[in-house]
Amino acid sequence: MLLSNDAGFTAALTGADFARYAAGRLKTGALHKELAAKGFVREMTDFEGCAAACAKKNAFLNAGPGLHILVMTLRCNHKCLYCQSSAVGAAGGGKTDMSRAVARRSVDFALKSTNPSITIEFQGGEPLLNWDALRDAVLYARRRGRELGREVRLALVSNFSLMTEEKARFLVENEVSVCTSLDGPAGLHNRNRVFTGGNSHSETARWLKYFSERAAKQVPDYKTFNPSALLTVSRFSLGREKEIVDEYVRRGLQDIFVRPLAPIGFAKKLWPSIGYTAAEFARFYRNTLAYILKLNAAGKKLRERHAVIMLEKIVNGADPGYLDMRCPCGAAIGQLAYNYNGDLYTCDEGRMVGWEGDDLFKVGNVLKDSYRKVMLAPAARACAAASNLELQPQCSRCAYKPFCGVCPVYNYETQGSLWGDMPSNGRCALSMGMFDALFALLAKPASAKILKGWVAR
Amino acid sequence: MPKNISIEVSLKKYSPESVRYAAHSLGGEAFAYIKPLPGGRAAVELAPRPGRASAGLARRFRAELEDEKLRERVAGENRELREFMLLKALNYRPKPPEKDDSGLTPQQEKELNDLIAQIETEIKAEASGGASSDPLGITSTWEDKYAPKNGSKKKR
Amino acid sequence: MKPLKKTETVFFSREIYSEEAVSLAAAVFDGRAEVSLSKSKGGVTARVSGPENSAGEFCNEALNQQCRLDLGRINSRIASLISTKALLSAAGDKPSARK
Repeated sequence: MLLSNDAGFTAALTGADFARYAAGRLKTGALHKELAAKGFVREMTDFEGCAAACAKKNAFLNAGPGLHILVMTLRCNHKCLYCQSSAVGAAGGGKTDMSRAVARRSVDFALKSTNPSITIEFQGGEPLLNWDALRDAVLYARRRGRELGREVRLALVSNFSLMTEEKARFLVENEVSVCTSLDGPAGLHNRNRVFTGGNSHSETARWLKYFSERAAKQVPDYKTFNPSALLTVSRFSLGREKEIVDEYVRRGLQDIFVRPLAPIGFAKKLWPSIGYTAAEFARFYRNTLAYILKLNAAGKKLRERHAVIMLEKIVNGADPGYLDMRCPCGAAIGQLAYNYNGDLYTCDEGRMVGWEGDDLFKVGNVLKDSYRKVMLAPAARACAAASNLELQPQCSRCAYKPFCGVCPVYNYETQGSLWGDMPSNGRCALSMGMFDALFALLAKPASAKILKGWVAR
Repeated sequence: MPKNISIEVSLKKYSPESVRYAAHSLGGEAFAYIKPLPGGRAAVELAPRPGRASAGLARRFRAELEDEKLRERVAGENRELREFMLLKALNYRPKPPEKDDSGLTPQQEKELNDLIAQIETEIKAEASGGASSDPLGITSTWEDKYAPKNGSKKKR
Repeated sequence: MKPLKKTETVFFSREIYSEEAVSLAAAVFDGRAEVSLSKSKGGVTARVSGPENSAGEFCNEALNQQCRLDLGRINSRIASLISTKALLSAAGDKPSARK
């Protein structure tokens, strides 16, 4: 039995101990002392301490959007099976490319955020297809950040197929961190991520190596970053946990972000052939984590990013800044998606819904609307209300509530309303599966030691 | 074909809210419908979703209902305290570090700091000017002070 | 071949489901199934016409909405404070206070 409270403290009890505790018969002993220290015994609760812990865990409530996603183009030269980005073909004619002017206005808009630290993430389609505007936006963001004395982090999400030495050097020298997709060994990766212009996996591997080597040589003029990679789990990934993790180790990556597929955008139409049940994903995640821990025990450094995010909350009581798992969710108030034409959306998923013809999640346009108007737009307010776990019947009574969050876009796309219905919600089931796996491992001393080491300060 | 299940509950023993929450929690497994019965009772009808079995549904519902009853009691007892704690958290500002209270006024503190700085300066000046660190010769021996300087010593 | 439509009628007693909850459920089902509501003695009758299991899904949605309303009666104050704080922190100072 797992107990949790608003301050983020947890306690694992046997059934018998819980029965004694619930009946008010647990009044002495080590367990009682532990529960009292964690705020589970009313008469002995340190309210100041609990309030402080709760405030720390929810520090995001004090600031505006930290993540600003600039969709540089909808064009893409890949045809990934699960593509959620509404990508169009690479030819496209540039009609769906973000202009330099819109990119600069987007940077200016992002710098209006009340968050002292912002990240501008260049995405697409494939953002390298719009290199000129991307390059200009990077230089502009760096200049404006310096002028305003603001901390600005820049990131690029790319499939690397159009990377060149010149572009890579530019990105490194301007402190743009890079992220790509790596779905496993070549056969599996290329099956998920179809690239008719070549071999997606070998391009990914080639540039991961390049950026890793650059990061290994820190120079005084600029900071270099290790590249990161994301795994999107499709039906073809199931049962191949070991091969996928081994591929990440082979590429020298220190983190693997195991991301479940969501039936949003293009993935929705192909769901019967690429999707899976929450139970199937839970099994995949448990097996992946177990293998990663085994490698850790043998001295290999590799962490799973979802686990790291959840452990920051569970172990350190901190706010990891993850917009998908917070109350309220980060829709508009935590992140913004800037479409190629300047339209602003609550998030990238909301932008994809817009591409399908439904602008429910649109919050404004960077060329016309003020920052304040966008933050208080109806969609922003509706998402804040709908993702408030205090008003979700299942979430408000769930032990994982202090660490979790709902996605109004997912709810809308799969269940027809921003609120959704959690007992039959696929994302809820996926999240519960991950939490179940993590807490089961935290209950075992050997695995708990490794997991806590992942977030040790 | 899985069987539909009907469970009768007492609305005197369980509040309508807790019966609803308990039925709602099984929404992933079954379709739930509640209708009132005479005598302060209600019937909770559970129809398993396609591909799901009805086995265990009734037991799970009853277990959820007992859990809801406990939650309702605990939540009711702690509601105001919880709101108080959450309000504190929403308005929380970390306390600034406490300053040491010397009991002096700011002017007195300044004068004291100036005096200490002056003495430190004088000590540094004496030390760097080559002056003996023992101007009164306290640490010198009798021989050092009074013995003839030609180096001969009185033989005993 | 289009999937067959099934039409079922469900009575929601006022003792268990508020009219508001059933109306909200009907709004959610817009586009998913045809739902027409009519007031009956002691509650609301819903006529649900759609793919297989639409009536069952509608019952679940009505229950979902009722549970949300139940929870709102208890938690709406604190929920509102949290959402308001998040929105105002994001929106920043009022225009008159801006430098």
